[in-house]
Amino acid sequence: MTAAARPDAGVKLAGTAVFGTDVDVPGMLWAAFVPAPLAHGRIRSLDLRAARALPGVTVLGPEDLARFFGPGERDQERSLFAQGEVVYRNQPLAVVAAPSALEARAAVAAVTVEIDPLPIIADLETAFPEWPGSDVGASPLVAAHVHARHGNVEDEFRGADRVLSETYRTASVHQVALEPHACVAEIRGEVWYVRTSTQSPFGVREDTASLLGIPESSIVVDGTWVGGGFGGKGSSFLEPYALLLARATGRPVRFALGYRDEFRLGRTTLPAVVRMETAVKDGRIRARRVRLLLDVGTSLPGRDFATGYSIGFLLGPYRTDAFEVEGYAVRTNKPPFGPHRAPFAPQCAFVVESHLDHVARELNLDGEEFRASHLWREGESTLLGQTVGPFGIAAAFERARATARAWRAEAPPGHGVGIGCGFWSTSTGAGGEVRLRLDPQRLVVLEGEREIGSGSVLAGLTAVASRVTGLPRDRVAIEYGDTSVAPYDSGVYGSRTLGALGRAIEEASVALRRTLAERLGARGQAELSVERGEIYAEAGERRAALTLLLTPDEHDAGGLVADGRHYAPSRLIDDRRVLSGTFYPYTDFTGAAHVAEVAVDPGTGAVRVVRYAAFHDAGTVVDAGAAQAQVEGGVAMGLGAALTEEAIWSDDGRLVNAGLLDYRIPTLGEVPPISVEFIEGFAGAGPFGAKGLGEPPIVPVPATVAIATRAACGAHVTELPLSAERVARALKLL
Amino acid sequence: MSGFDLVVPETVEEAIAALQTLGPGEAAPLAGGTDLLLDVDEGRLAPRRIVSLRRLPWRTLDWNGNSLTVGSTLPLRSLEDDPQVRVKYPGLYEAVRNVGSVALRHRATVGGNLVRAAPASDLIPILLALDAEVDLVGPHGDRTVLVDRFVQASRRTDLRPGELVRSVRFPEPRPSDFRWQRVRPANDISQVVVAVAFSPAGRRWRVAVGGVSPRPTLLTEAADALGSGRPDADAIRRAAESASTRALFVTDRRASEEYRRRLVGTLLERTVASVVETKGFPA
Amino acid sequence: MTAGPVRLNVNGTARVIPDVPGPERLLDTLRWRLKLKGTKEGCRTGDCGACTVLVDGRSCLSCLTLAHEVDGSAVTTIEVGPDELLVARVRAAFEAAGALQCGYCTPGFVMAVAGLLRERGTAAPREELLEGLGGNLCRCTGYAAIVRAVDLLRTEAP
Repeated sequence: MTAAARPDAGVKLAGTAVFGTDVDVPGMLWAAFVPAPLAHGRIRSLDLRAARALPGVTVLGPEDLARFFGPGERDQERSLFAQGEVVYRNQPLAVVAAPSALEARAAVAAVTVEIDPLPIIADLETAFPEWPGSDVGASPLVAAHVHARHGNVEDEFRGADRVLSETYRTASVHQVALEPHACVAEIRGEVWYVRTSTQSPFGVREDTASLLGIPESSIVVDGTWVGGGFGGKGSSFLEPYALLLARATGRPVRFALGYRDEFRLGRTTLPAVVRMETAVKDGRIRARRVRLLLDVGTSLPGRDFATGYSIGFLLGPYRTDAFEVEGYAVRTNKPPFGPHRAPFAPQCAFVVESHLDHVARELNLDGEEFRASHLWREGESTLLGQTVGPFGIAAAFERARATARAWRAEAPPGHGVGIGCGFWSTSTGAGGEVRLRLDPQRLVVLEGEREIGSGSVLAGLTAVASRVTGLPRDRVAIEYGDTSVAPYDSGVYGSRTLGALGRAIEEASVALRRTLAERLGARGQAELSVERGEIYAEAGERRAALTLLLTPDEHDAGGLVADGRHYAPSRLIDDRRVLSGTFYPYTDFTGAAHVAEVAVDPGTGAVRVVRYAAFHDAGTVVDAGAAQAQVEGGVAMGLGAALTEEAIWSDDGRLVNAGLLDYRIPTLGEVPPISVEFIEGFAGAGPFGAKGLGEPPIVPVPATVAIATRAACGAHVTELPLSAERVARALKLL
Repeated sequence: MSGFDLVVPETVEEAIAALQTLGPGEAAPLAGGTDLLLDVDEGRLAPRRIVSLRRLPWRTLDWNGNSLTVGSTLPLRSLEDDPQVRVKYPGLYEAVRNVGSVALRHRATVGGNLVRAAPASDLIPILLALDAEVDLVGPHGDRTVLVDRFVQASRRTDLRPGELVRSVRFPEPRPSDFRWQRVRPANDISQVVVAVAFSPAGRRWRVAVGGVSPRPTLLTEAADALGSGRPDADAIRRAAESASTRALFVTDRRASEEYRRRLVGTLLERTVASVVETKGFPA
Repeated sequence: MTAGPVRLNVNGTARVIPDVPGPERLLDTLRWRLKLKGTKEGCRTGDCGACTVLVDGRSCLSCLTLAHEVDGSAVTTIEVGPDELLVARVRAAFEAAGALQCGYCTPGFVMAVAGLLRERGTAAPREELLEGLGGNLCRCTGYAAIVRAVDLLRTEAP
């Protein structure tokens, strides 16, 4: 495979790339949160005086915010500090700025707070100990309720040959980007200016504006290089606080989280319990019931995005005549549920794949054949009534089966081989825009996203721009601009970048080439080429160096400019199937099938993944190196969720393993060789039919490992992660 | 991170004095710092003074015939790199090379690990199995104590005020091995640690476990069950059973008591088998 | 001492850094006093390896090392110039193998690989080199491309 041609490699290998944690401005102050000392309580008093008395220290508490608010509309539901009631441990009560990190810590320690404890709902077991054996009903702990139904569920269950019911549990996992959240804010005249490590500069701008009631035009967000996002940096976090402190002190303010606080305050995937029931007749699925209890921490009522979206992934890409799904988002005393890479989808895939494999086994059917026979085909209807678009999952599955057969034939005793499927839909966000600028030597793509690491910006967009203009890649430069100069884009998340910005580039390119054709007196689009270092345009009978086709103004402005935008059409689900709550339509249909060979230690239950293969329905691969890199990285992250990653909360709402020693992401030695194959031809929504690849690779992994583990030793583990102890229990070693 | 005074004494006497002149817990010695500095950062310890041992002549590895004396501030990586250690004390080699990471082992020391007396210490069990001794220097002179007596409880040793570990001594090479179980193989704290050694001179087994109880422990009943030479399958099974019932077990976020019992038995069987089969075991 | 000068040879240049407090970590001295931001701050608990530098040629977790404890040493960071041939070779291998995505773990990995190769040699067994990287975490690449970079650096045993 070819190595990704990455223009950012040089600065990153030289150590000169500036990340959020590296921003260093003379005179800057250091900020820190004043954390709530318990998970639930009523604030009786918050005494900031001693902290304020320390030299050089500024403290902002709830009472101080009003003087910073602007006249604009504010999001009243979201508050920067705990107001009256603390709802999760370490929730910010106030924020300090001091001349050094040490002094900031001392200022925090000088704050005294009196809190009257309230009962703590630490987890789902505390909230609903009998579930699924009991009802959730009208509990005040429910933040959202989703309910959808189709077909004659009761009849199908009654008339079934077999009904299989299982309960699954999945754990909380963190993004664990190696760089913690970090930003430096400054007030420059009337402008609230912040340099920050983020997946969404425009999202930060929008958030800050709505939190403070100030116009977006007075906020400038300048993205730094990002040391990993994985969903955790998709919206604002520290920036509003840093900006307020900058405003209050008149000094630049650095706000970076310590790594333990990354875990304690992180908004991420939280635990879930799922009840799966499947009615089978004549070897086919006739009906399914899915019930989900999802911990959403302190997500605000009405703001839960996870429940209605996850339910679809619990159904999976499988045909069912009748179904009923019901999900409850449950509030617990933890930070709010937040997006991870393919948020909660790997956990859902683990549940549905393991369950369907189990159903097949119980019916003495081949698990792979059973799933394959139910996979969606293009033109069919999804469970919420959308039409399935081009979908390469069956092709991926067939390739996976061929590999699985070969591996099984060679596998030594104690090893097992299994296949897991994953289904994903690219997010749209609001949309994205770019500006192209063609000068006599090169094409510049001005856009508002930093390369966060996936390659989607620097490799993917370069590849698209090269293809749509016909210019070689080394003639294309991606130019990042902050929110005051760059066109809008909603953010690098949801695997949407290549699709959204790629389409915008396509549109701009068409405009550019049409303009040039016109100037050459022809119709259609001009062809671009490079000769002796100069760009040439050709249309009709004429060909000219670009420099001759530009107006004097355009020469002055740096080249011929064209804008493009992409705001994906909204898609609809069949509302008649929805009884309650918000469900999310799919934008496209991206599939993957993975194969794992695992070895299980029969004495300890420890699972070791020996080798791995990933088959991905990629639409069109735009940059092979970046695509391969995404699959390799996503699989490794999925292995963590499969085997070792689990955020553990105590009964009093404390995150017990808030650190990289006890929250275990995979190390180099634990990732097996991964072979990667792309299936092309099933077009997605992106340029040339490309499908987003940022998230799909993580989705099938825990499922694949679980199914291979069962194949290896018979252990049917219905909980994530598949720790050695859980496997040992399933093997009845204990 | 609290503030502290850093002192860098040139001699052992200066170091002892620097530790002694403040009250208990107010001064702490600094070897590699990989545990101490973390404890300070996270508020578990708050010494006013930290006494660096970097200038003391203890970064040593000395052979006296086959007996080995390791200076207390020798980085673990140096111990790992010594080819004779690998041959003569294979269990020690295995234990050392599995501590943390390479960069960590460039600073972490046997002395520091020993004095910290962590329940899941990867080194203390093999020190126990090898009947290692601790050489101490202090304001009231030198003394030598068996590691088994020196390590008393979780995070507590017999170290007296002003005392420092000068070296750890291993009296005789032994066929030995060390096994662990962790959530992930690299850069992790062990759930269970088993160290096994056979003394050719005394024709006696030593079995030590760590990670299961507040203090790494020698299991005499399990060792006795192994006999005075090459144990048969039955003896190994009895030893494993004894180990999984006799050792004191805890449940924590790394593993439950039940699982630890299971692990100890399984790991003990494997460790004994490996010592007998592959490590130059006497006939 | 509460604070004092620290003498280091940093990337080939002798430096005397005045008024360094006793508790200060080498990581912070490099980043905030010498303005060498290439060495990254990750976990600050010695678990991720992002802060790895070389001290007297050996890998060192600069977040857990007091600056004063390495007074008098030679420190090599990712910013070292092209004359440092081993580090240059490691950089080249990482670039050729595309062994980075976000780049945050990269300086630590480059120094860890360079340190390992210096200690064990390029002809060291592959397993030994790969095991030696267990202390450096990466969340983006899945390590596959990093392993390819290491393979590019390895030579056959004589």
